[in-house]
Amino acid sequence: MNVLEELRSLLRLYGQQFKTTFATMVQYRASLFIWMIAQVLEPLVYLIVWSTVSNGSGGSVGGYTAQGFAGYYLALMLVNQVTYTWVMYEYEYRVRQGGLSFALLKPVHPIHSDISDNLSSKLVTMPILLVVTVILAFIFHPTAPLTLWAVLAFIPALILAFLVRFLLEWTLALAAFWTTRVAAINQVYFILMLFLAGQIAPLTLFPQWIQVLADILPFRWMLGFPVELVLGRLTQVQAFEGLAIQAAWVILALVLVRLVWRAGVRVYSAVGA
Amino acid sequence: MNEPSVHLHELCKTYRVAERESGMGAAMRSLFHRRMQEVNAVDELTFDLVPGEVVGFLGPNGAGKTTTLKMLSGLLHPTGGEGRVLGYVPWKRERAFLRQITLVMGQRNQLVWDIPAADSFELNRVIYRLPMANFRRTVNELTELLELGPLLKKPVRNLSLGERMKCEIAAALLHRPQVVFLDEPTIGLDVTMQRRIRTFIAEYNQRSGATVLLTSHYMADVEALCKRVIVIHHGRLLFDGDLAALVQQFTAHKTIVVQLEDCHANLHSYGEVLSCEDGRFTLRVPKANTARVTERLLADLPVIDLLVEDPPIEEVIDQVFTQEPA
Amino acid sequence: MNTLRLMAVFFRISVLNETAYRVNFFLQLLQSLLELGTALAGLAVIFSYTNNLGGWSPNEMLALVGVYFLVGGIISLVIQPGMSALIDSVRDGTLDFTLTKPENAQLLVSIQRVAIWSLLDLLMGIGVLVTALVRLGQTIGVAEAAGFIGMLLAGGVIVYSFWLILASLSFWFVRVENLLEIFQSMYQAGRWPVSLYPGWLRFALTFIVPVAFATSVPAEALTGRLGGPTLLGALGLAILLSAVARLVWRLGLRHYSGASA
Repeated sequence: MNVLEELRSLLRLYGQQFKTTFATMVQYRASLFIWMIAQVLEPLVYLIVWSTVSNGSGGSVGGYTAQGFAGYYLALMLVNQVTYTWVMYEYEYRVRQGGLSFALLKPVHPIHSDISDNLSSKLVTMPILLVVTVILAFIFHPTAPLTLWAVLAFIPALILAFLVRFLLEWTLALAAFWTTRVAAINQVYFILMLFLAGQIAPLTLFPQWIQVLADILPFRWMLGFPVELVLGRLTQVQAFEGLAIQAAWVILALVLVRLVWRAGVRVYSAVGA
Repeated sequence: MNEPSVHLHELCKTYRVAERESGMGAAMRSLFHRRMQEVNAVDELTFDLVPGEVVGFLGPNGAGKTTTLKMLSGLLHPTGGEGRVLGYVPWKRERAFLRQITLVMGQRNQLVWDIPAADSFELNRVIYRLPMANFRRTVNELTELLELGPLLKKPVRNLSLGERMKCEIAAALLHRPQVVFLDEPTIGLDVTMQRRIRTFIAEYNQRSGATVLLTSHYMADVEALCKRVIVIHHGRLLFDGDLAALVQQFTAHKTIVVQLEDCHANLHSYGEVLSCEDGRFTLRVPKANTARVTERLLADLPVIDLLVEDPPIEEVIDQVFTQEPA
Repeated sequence: MNTLRLMAVFFRISVLNETAYRVNFFLQLLQSLLELGTALAGLAVIFSYTNNLGGWSPNEMLALVGVYFLVGGIISLVIQPGMSALIDSVRDGTLDFTLTKPENAQLLVSIQRVAIWSLLDLLMGIGVLVTALVRLGQTIGVAEAAGFIGMLLAGGVIVYSFWLILASLSFWFVRVENLLEIFQSMYQAGRWPVSLYPGWLRFALTFIVPVAFATSVPAEALTGRLGGPTLLGALGLAILLSAVARLVWRLGLRHYSGASA
């Protein structure tokens, strides 16, 4: 009985949060739009660069033709849109401005409002991004062998990728409790994401040791893996293994969230709001 | 030297403000037809100041004081009328003009926040092209008059509000301007600091002969510094003359606030009862009777607390506006 | 000239300001180096698969990266801080203080703030550029060098004017801070030669947000690819845009001070 009640109240909470943050996001649509330009431009630039390399190297590079790259980067754009978080900047700002105290006073875990913020902003930007992707698809003619099983497997892969990314970045965001030098940590993190999540180039284009590193670290499972999966570049076995690894990372991340949050609150309250 | 240093003739500043009622219907209608209302922030203001005068520019919030100062310092263009400061048209913003005036705004800082005031002074020295020797002399003089000594080396953000204000004022006077506009310089400061700054302004005016136009809605500022006051309300000139005359004419009363147990007592024999709440009576008595009435109240009644006040400036202004003497 | 003295004193104030925060120098250095390292690693990956990117050799691309950091450094050093401060000062009214000073207001708002740590990016850019030039050796002649300097200056004027126009919009519209981000967002495309991009993107990066003039065009001049039309176009645009920027600025000031338009 308790669990059902809790679930119901959690859902109500999310619903309410959604309404509030959605309204705010609509207010900030101008800055969201500008942010979207960067989100689109980065994979687009790599798309064009790699296409150029591919065209100049006899049609394909590392198993990708120019159209293959187009498919890859457009899929990357969409997956990134779903899994992206900015929660690290958020917490650095909150700790600096002292706004975290309000979050701590509430009887609900702040992660819920953060998730709801995240999802509701994507609700606003996703339609636009879809339109942009379609237009870019007309321009760049992406190709990819889509199969039914891959597309179906893509859905849990996407959801797990979001969870892995959000939970781990949320935990990392709490570093703001311990240090003000969060900018440096963020930067290192984003650079690792760039290389090891498949943003600068599809991971198969990297030397073997980097690919091994990418498998061990969580970055590929946040972004690159669902992309490779939906584009049909993985076997069924690889896909299944990947989903399992994602699940493992989610569990690990949940544990970390719990531990780091508790430690962080202790540190924060010791210093004083 | 009888040229006025500040001259206004029917100076006007009108704003057009969109007016709209609340509700969806009105919101929809406003998309097609916006009703504009004209607000006269400054309405045909006319007065002259001679060099060396310290004049108080009084009025309640929103009366148009700041708008007038902004026009006189060149920040705003008027909608009509004429204005001249030291012979220049302010809103032309000629360099020679800007070198001779200064504007101090009570709630805003021009000092750079994170560094010592001394460094901001240096910035002004270069901007105003002050020769080093003159600059040093002025800084020393201002430091002495305002007791700035240890304050100059501290980052501005570490100073208290009053200390910051002193440094702001000093920074504004480094170039020895001939006309000084002070917009609520003592707002938010404690009484001691207010007094300190008033003393300084008087001293500075004495030494430099600068014309000072000071806005405030603290009567005390004006009483301490200004022989002449200009009162404006809703942008119009209401009174221009001797402070003594204004005080005499319009504040012939004092307000006595008496705290008793409850409101049951009858105080009509002591003075005009304006209000009572929770035993807190507000009486109005003629100025001459204040001491006697206070004495009687204390002797006759179980007074918990008693306070003698000047009527608030808003009341004075209201009286001036409604032409209600005494 | 007093302008130089003003620049010097604003620079000094900015240094004092930034050092008041005891920002760790080594941390800033690390961050800049990481950025550079990322850019170079990206290049390395690309050139492990080819030795010619749209006609650009590895060393020529290195030069482009150098220009990217050099110009990026200049922008974050003197252009972005001032324009950002301008928008703030319009909003909170402290622009009034600037306007009562007996100096050209456009000058004052443009040099009022310097972000010292961006010097690191600037120096890094120069370092990379010099390395690339050394490797390119023979192929850089006087004409290329002169063209480079000229295009760098033109690019600087174009970028500054663009930022001033954007910032001046705050005289009319309230929520403009994010508009400045447009340039930052699109600047990353300047790490690659604009000739790679399809026409519509090239157009956007040239005439809508002038990133191309900041990085590609000077790099093209340096590597001897600059066509006459581009050179003249850049110079012409620099002159035109600076005039437009000054006009927009002055119109904005008139609007701010309620002068009849």
